[in-house]
Amino acid sequence: MISRRDTIVGYLVLSLAALISLGPLLGVVILSLGEPGKVGIRIDIAKATNFGNYADVWEKGDFGAAIQTSAIITIVVVVLSVALSIPAGYAFALMNFPGRTAIFALLVLGILMPLESMIVPLYLDMRRFNLDNNYWSVILPQIGFSVAFGAFWMRAFFVQSARSLMEAAWIDGANTWRTLTKVLLPLARPQMLTLAVLFFVWNWNDFLLPLVMLSGSDLQTAPMALVNFEGARRTDFAYLGAASLITIAPVIIVFMLLQRSFTRGILAGSIKE
Amino acid sequence: MPGEARSVAYLYILPAALIYALFVFIPFIHSIYLSFFKGNGVTRMEFVGIDNYIDIVTNPVLRSAFVHAFELIVFYSLIPIAIGLFLASVLHRSRIRGVAFYRTALFLPYVIAPTAIAVIWRWILAPRGPLNSFLEAVGLGALAQPWLGDFTWALPSVGMVGTWVMFGLVLALLLAGVQKIPLELYEAARLDGAGPWMEFRAVTLPGLRYEIVVALVLTVTAALRNFDIIYVMTSGGPGNATVVPSYLVYQQAFKVAQIGAAAAMGTVLIAVIVAANLLIARAGRRDA
Amino acid sequence: MSQRVTFDGVSVTYPGMTSPAVSNLDLEVAEGEFLVLVGPSGCGKSTGLRAVAGLEPVSSGRILIGDRDVTGVAAKDRDIAMVFQNYALYPHMTVAENMGFALKIAKTPKAEMTRRVEEAARLLDLHDYLDRRPKALSGGQRQRVAMGRAIVREPAVFLMDEPLSNLDAKLRVQTRTQIATLQRRLGTTTIYVTHDQVEAMTMGDRVAVLRDGVLQQVATPDELYQSPVNAFVAQFIGSPSMNLVEVPIVDGGVDLGECRVSVTRDILSLAGSPRVLLGVRPEDLRIDDGGALMRVQLVEALGADTYVYGTITTPDGDVTMVVRTTPATRPSIGDVVGVRPERFYVFSAEGEQRRLG
Repeated sequence: MISRRDTIVGYLVLSLAALISLGPLLGVVILSLGEPGKVGIRIDIAKATNFGNYADVWEKGDFGAAIQTSAIITIVVVVLSVALSIPAGYAFALMNFPGRTAIFALLVLGILMPLESMIVPLYLDMRRFNLDNNYWSVILPQIGFSVAFGAFWMRAFFVQSARSLMEAAWIDGANTWRTLTKVLLPLARPQMLTLAVLFFVWNWNDFLLPLVMLSGSDLQTAPMALVNFEGARRTDFAYLGAASLITIAPVIIVFMLLQRSFTRGILAGSIKE
Repeated sequence: MPGEARSVAYLYILPAALIYALFVFIPFIHSIYLSFFKGNGVTRMEFVGIDNYIDIVTNPVLRSAFVHAFELIVFYSLIPIAIGLFLASVLHRSRIRGVAFYRTALFLPYVIAPTAIAVIWRWILAPRGPLNSFLEAVGLGALAQPWLGDFTWALPSVGMVGTWVMFGLVLALLLAGVQKIPLELYEAARLDGAGPWMEFRAVTLPGLRYEIVVALVLTVTAALRNFDIIYVMTSGGPGNATVVPSYLVYQQAFKVAQIGAAAAMGTVLIAVIVAANLLIARAGRRDA
Repeated sequence: MSQRVTFDGVSVTYPGMTSPAVSNLDLEVAEGEFLVLVGPSGCGKSTGLRAVAGLEPVSSGRILIGDRDVTGVAAKDRDIAMVFQNYALYPHMTVAENMGFALKIAKTPKAEMTRRVEEAARLLDLHDYLDRRPKALSGGQRQRVAMGRAIVREPAVFLMDEPLSNLDAKLRVQTRTQIATLQRRLGTTTIYVTHDQVEAMTMGDRVAVLRDGVLQQVATPDELYQSPVNAFVAQFIGSPSMNLVEVPIVDGGVDLGECRVSVTRDILSLAGSPRVLLGVRPEDLRIDDGGALMRVQLVEALGADTYVYGTITTPDGDVTMVVRTTPATRPSIGDVVGVRPERFYVFSAEGEQRRLG
């Protein structure tokens, strides 16, 4: 029996928690609309009208190019990572082959692996093959890390696919590829969407890898642009606020649109969807 | 027949496995190899056995990186989980409508780029930033600090940022889990004479076992892998007060050009992460 | 076109298991025959069916479809079609697409595909549902789609794995008749698995009873009922089950409680021990003062039949028996009545408990 008091307390607590989570962000929004050049003290809302800050920051911080670079890299990574994770997950889940357990274990290691434990030789090798300072030096390692999780994720889905469905397809004459594409995959749309959202968020936000790989070049990702911008203007907080929001805006948009998919991914098993 | 061993399987895993091997796993092995050398990656490297690893243990700065990382675990992981457990048990009876909105709000800090979070909180924690202004406004001006510039407060400040980021995620996770626990269990416990603390221990905690494990894995790993925030907020400073392993790897490899040392640091880091996760998984299984 | 199916010494052992799921099965299913594989859970009937389908590898022996040895041949090349217990319909395809999937893979020309799907839909009364998805169908309709999918293949053999067990009782009886009629009409060899002996007896041309992977008996339903080859088959077939009592051999027969039942010497001499199993079906027991004394525990009045449950005292203790009688001669709980077997079977008390007479 759920009392009214429980519900009210629930709303109160959750609202407070939401406020704590959103508060700083809301503050930044107001900050970003304040007068540039003013230092630190929170600008009050009445003076938060300098929408022009965004245009300034966009130009001065070269965010146009940065957002474009991030977009190109992230979209390529997301598309390719999802595309490669699916057959891999399928094979790990539903086919028996020598070395399956070992290979899968090594792949899962990639989920825990911090970039730092392999960035050095990766960079040295990229430089040696003259691949650094170009999109692929970021794209390929990001795909590598993404498919580690992606194969794990898709495998979990395929493992609980009905065996009899596969057997029926098999008897109907479908080979492994057709079974995957025509029978099992159409059922996996939610899982694929979740994977895409997770990949987008993780890879857009990635900082260290692009920092190392693209430092010598003209290319920068949005997080890099933000940090560089910040390096040049440590106290111009209004501009910094605008720059931060520009950097995180794409992820927030994607997240808001697909938040159901994202939460399902993180809370896998916990949500009754 | 389905399930039978087949060589076509290799074709299915090949593209993913290839990219993973070339751009993640082989560099990882290579890194382990490099960790036994000293050098700058350009000129010839010198084999030094486990010297780099000994350095990590003996050199106070290197050692402190791991100490700091474990301190950050308290902020990223233990505090949010404690708060989350408390709130979740308070809310276990509530069935909120529109929980999706709250979930979105709670997840947002976890979703936005750590670099942006670092920039934002640098502003908040600035000497004349909102936090200090707020403290002055409510008469607690004496507590105002140059947070990120202070030797004692820098690491806890970074920690509190981590708490802010993780708190929402953990709460959302535990909340979803606690709403799955059937109310009848609480009623049964109540009838058996259990008070609130007993209810928590006997019904809530076991029911949340899976969610707690997930929360631990996500938060501990985040705490140990923390690079962006340190890089942007403190650069390891003031002095070495906020160095963490991942930052040291970057610094040693790309600033000081000590490739071997950096590789050793990276290797120890992944060992710690794997060990931590194994511990968590083991603990999660044992609490049956 | 329809083919016969032969199990030649087929054994199937799952990896890691010590005893085989199917043990040395020798069975021939004639062309066009409706053969039912029946037995309790774990008896190997599904395994045997799936071995024919090509879904389980055969550990030893051969399977032939027609004259062709299909052991080791891939399922899709065996010319079989299967109806699964949970139907295994493709959730995101329409009924028409579900039924046409195999034909599409085989690159059947569109006109032929449409013709076959339409015809099957007509046969199964699915015409109005061709554009629907499985989740918009009732259990009975889904079952028919599963059948339709098998029919359009026009295979040599139909394999059905407990296709009725997910339907409610009334629908099951209805569909049972439909399947049997359909099979007779199409004339395709059918191997049908069920655990329900009523289904087996009403649908099969012949019924094969399995137990722990071993074939007990394969015969027409009548033969199984009248001439069970051992105590297991005797008890499995018929509902309520045959009464089986272990009785001592005495001079001239056996003793059922106080009642002496005469058994010929030839039969008794086949017994390897001083005790045998006496089997009497409930409908073969008469309420008769000269019979064994039974104390009535429970009376089930089911309309035309009445089943009386009671205990008879034997030297080994109390034994429960079931007697079928008419409402007219229905006793009450607590009464003591005499029951006498009008017809009975004698089984060996040990080993396989083969029928002696």
